[in-house]
Amino acid sequence: MENGVRRWLVNVSQWNPSEAQFASVISLFPVDEQTAITRYIKFEDKKRALVSRLLQYSLVHEVLGIPFDKIIIHRTAEGKPYLKNSIDFPFSNFNFNVSHHGDYVGIASEPLCLVGLDIVSITTPKQETELEFINNFSPYLTVLEWKNIAHAGSSEEMLAEFYRYWCLKEAFVKAIGAGLGYGLGRLEFHHTNWTGISAYIDGVESKKWRFSLSKLDEKHWVSIARGLPNKADELCCSNLSLPELGFTFRTLEELISNVN
Amino acid sequence: MASLAGTTISIASRPWHSLQAAKELSSLKSISFSSIKKSFPAIRLQPASSRLQICCAAKSDTLEKVLKIVRKQLAVPEGTAVIAESKFSELGADSLDTVEIVMGLEEAFGISVEEESAQKIITVQDAADLIQELVEAKSC
Repeated sequence: MENGVRRWLVNVSQWNPSEAQFASVISLFPVDEQTAITRYIKFEDKKRALVSRLLQYSLVHEVLGIPFDKIIIHRTAEGKPYLKNSIDFPFSNFNFNVSHHGDYVGIASEPLCLVGLDIVSITTPKQETELEFINNFSPYLTVLEWKNIAHAGSSEEMLAEFYRYWCLKEAFVKAIGAGLGYGLGRLEFHHTNWTGISAYIDGVESKKWRFSLSKLDEKHWVSIARGLPNKADELCCSNLSLPELGFTFRTLEELISNVN
Repeated sequence: MASLAGTTISIASRPWHSLQAAKELSSLKSISFSSIKKSFPAIRLQPASSRLQICCAAKSDTLEKVLKIVRKQLAVPEGTAVIAESKFSELGADSLDTVEIVMGLEEAFGISVEEESAQKIITVQDAADLIQELVEAKSC
């Protein structure tokens, strides 16, 4: 039975389309999406934007059965995509979130809980040292998080530790649809070796959110934030304590064939 | 930087020293990194009309400086136009880039940008306008 939960990833470094192939995939989407995709300056960004849309439309089509050409996805003022089509129970809270960084584009969906997803690609800074880079983000980290980063070991390990915290924070703000203005410094993550992750918001442990963080490869990590929407009911609360579903890798060919 | 007054955990300024101190406490190899903070010359009061002229000339200087910082941060290829109307997202900026660009602008112009304001910067022109506003507020 369809439960509305998906966790998909695409490794875009494995897709190297010709101009014609790219044009053929982009033509699957409504004109306004095509325009949004082609406005990206760099081809890698165009590619990630296209794959992101492909994941969104394929997922909605598969989970909710809406034909590709009837799917309407809008964006909030902060840029978060959401489904405009009205959906009936039991999926009236259906929501999804996408992320892309480095080689991966991912999507996560939930029928009831709010979901946020973030992928980070650990990138050695080019114009400054790792420490100088991390210091740019000091207002977005708490004192405890700073200490943990400082004690992580070498510069590379500190950088990786920073990126893991950032990944979790981003998943949270994306789940709630906020942006950098939220005040990421209010959020503190506690964990045991990056498992059993809990969030403290303004110093108080949040019982409404669950987090998970997993390694995709040496350079990439992915996080999921799942939480209760404001008017949470019992069904939603029990849904929250379900174990986190692992990610499935999809290929472009599979996703495109879903369309036809 | 953005004020965090009212929260129990607050970081008033970038903790260059606290990061250093934390490392020393754990007796790791000591690190030294040169301060990126620049010092700015004192601004002298000018008569009103020449101040207006300076403000207008400063606008295009500001935009030029912003374009330069953005090009560098986002590694925009040579020969790709970056103009005032260019959107940061279309240039490939993600949230990490946005934070770094804002930090770079704060340091280059000697200003402090609130997190809420940083979120509203969509185009290069938005950034230049915000900087202009903050620089003028400082000197007036």
